[in-house]
Amino acid sequence: MSWRWFHQWGSPRWFYERAGRWQLVCGWLALILLVVGSLWGLGFAPVDYQQGNSYRIIYLHVPVAFLAQAMYAAMAVCAVVLFVWKMKLADVAMQAIAVTGLAFTVLSLVSGAVWGKPTWGTYWVWDARLTSMLILSFLYLGLIGLRAAIQDPDQAGKACGILVLVGVVNLPIIKYSVEWWNTLHQPASLKLTEKPTMPASMWVPLLVNILGYYIAAAYLVLGSMRAIVIGRERRASWVKELVGRA
Amino acid sequence: MLEFQFESLMAFLAMAPHGAYVWPVYVLGLLILGGLTWMNLRQHRQAIRLVKRQLEREETHES
Amino acid sequence: MSIEKRMLARELKLAAARPGDIFKPMWFLMLVISMVPLALSPDSALLADIGSAMIWVATLLALLLNTEHLFQSDFSDGVLEQWLFLDRPLAWLVGLKLIVHWLFHVVPLICITPIAGLMLSVPTDVLIALLMTLVVATPALTCFSGLGAALTLGSSRSGILGVLVMMPLFVPVVILAAGVLIRATDGSEILPLIALLGAFSLVAATLVPIAVSAAIRLNIGGSN
Repeated sequence: MSWRWFHQWGSPRWFYERAGRWQLVCGWLALILLVVGSLWGLGFAPVDYQQGNSYRIIYLHVPVAFLAQAMYAAMAVCAVVLFVWKMKLADVAMQAIAVTGLAFTVLSLVSGAVWGKPTWGTYWVWDARLTSMLILSFLYLGLIGLRAAIQDPDQAGKACGILVLVGVVNLPIIKYSVEWWNTLHQPASLKLTEKPTMPASMWVPLLVNILGYYIAAAYLVLGSMRAIVIGRERRASWVKELVGRA
Repeated sequence: MLEFQFESLMAFLAMAPHGAYVWPVYVLGLLILGGLTWMNLRQHRQAIRLVKRQLEREETHES
Repeated sequence: MSIEKRMLARELKLAAARPGDIFKPMWFLMLVISMVPLALSPDSALLADIGSAMIWVATLLALLLNTEHLFQSDFSDGVLEQWLFLDRPLAWLVGLKLIVHWLFHVVPLICITPIAGLMLSVPTDVLIALLMTLVVATPALTCFSGLGAALTLGSSRSGILGVLVMMPLFVPVVILAAGVLIRATDGSEILPLIALLGAFSLVAATLVPIAVSAAIRLNIGGSN
């Protein structure tokens, strides 16, 4: 009985009904946090004395870049759950996160590049963080491509699970090797020296936005998962009941 | 601590000298978040429509 | 005769029956290398600067070209299915297959890189370093591209998907090899990095076959 909280995740119907409620809460919470955080960051946080107003991009860039990486880790957790407990919902989550994660990775790449133009004077620099983010986007793309190529959803899910696990073992190696590669080729001149202390008036809105984007990601992933669950379970009686009632 | 950093709304929108960089990024962010939401809703609707059509087919088959 | 010996004999026979499979990637490598001076300039100083990196990338592509369908014929004629019934772990057989593939299809590729190096006027000491990196790094690359081939076995319209999926994982290997080449150009110590690359290959050779065998099981067993 104490494992009930875990086993109920095996029921797509239970998830579908609960997730609808969670999604609603997450959606409104994220909207409020993001509006507050973004307006605060854009209008009320003090101007950076070195970068000027262009630094205000970080209120979008930093949370999104965090999420892009966290979501890959979340997929790895889902892959472990899929292989250990054969829980199909974990595969649904993996599929939902892959698409959302790719969108966040692309957003973080673009926002990083646009921030680089006024700061470094060019859109693209082979900086360690930009480069590993680019590799991450290729990893996400590979997952989506692999899933699209395999017809049977169960088989596709397992193949993606293997790929995610291999990828997550490699990701730290990729990150460190890219950092090392960066020191190999470039003197530290291009590196943006992060100021040791950011005043609270700057980091509080950043924190609000980080929280907001995390909850927004949860909202998006839950929404995508619900749609996938309905699609995969379309022959189950509870789905027919649900649609018939509506 | 909470003090509007710009003299006017126009100054805020211009965000000199980096308005051309800051605003498009936020617009793109909005587009991507909105686009994902829209995609999820559409996928959900499509899945439900598929089930509905199947139910109708079953009903006509029975009668 | 043990299963391993029989497997080896079969691979040898297959390789002898289809020499084109060995020859074509080498042909590809030489073609890519001849495109470099045509696209860039015949200036030998310029070529010497980028030559070793170009050879590395071209070898990588050639290797991908011949590993893409590594398991395809064994899959379609049912050999992989038979592997499941042998009293050997699947990962061990997969590892063996990967080693044999590396010996027959990748080593010949490495053997012609000195010629490519001479064509791009790469200095001798850098060329030696290049050969060393290729020898110790290609096992890891072979393993990873083998995994890509195994993952996409079941899909009929995968195309070069296996390559696309696996290529991001090559990043650490390429970076380490580039580090060796830069140090060789400077004339500084390269052995620690070579050892690191070798370690990466050894770890890949022990762990990746497990993932490959899982992918093969998945494609044969279907959904169970």
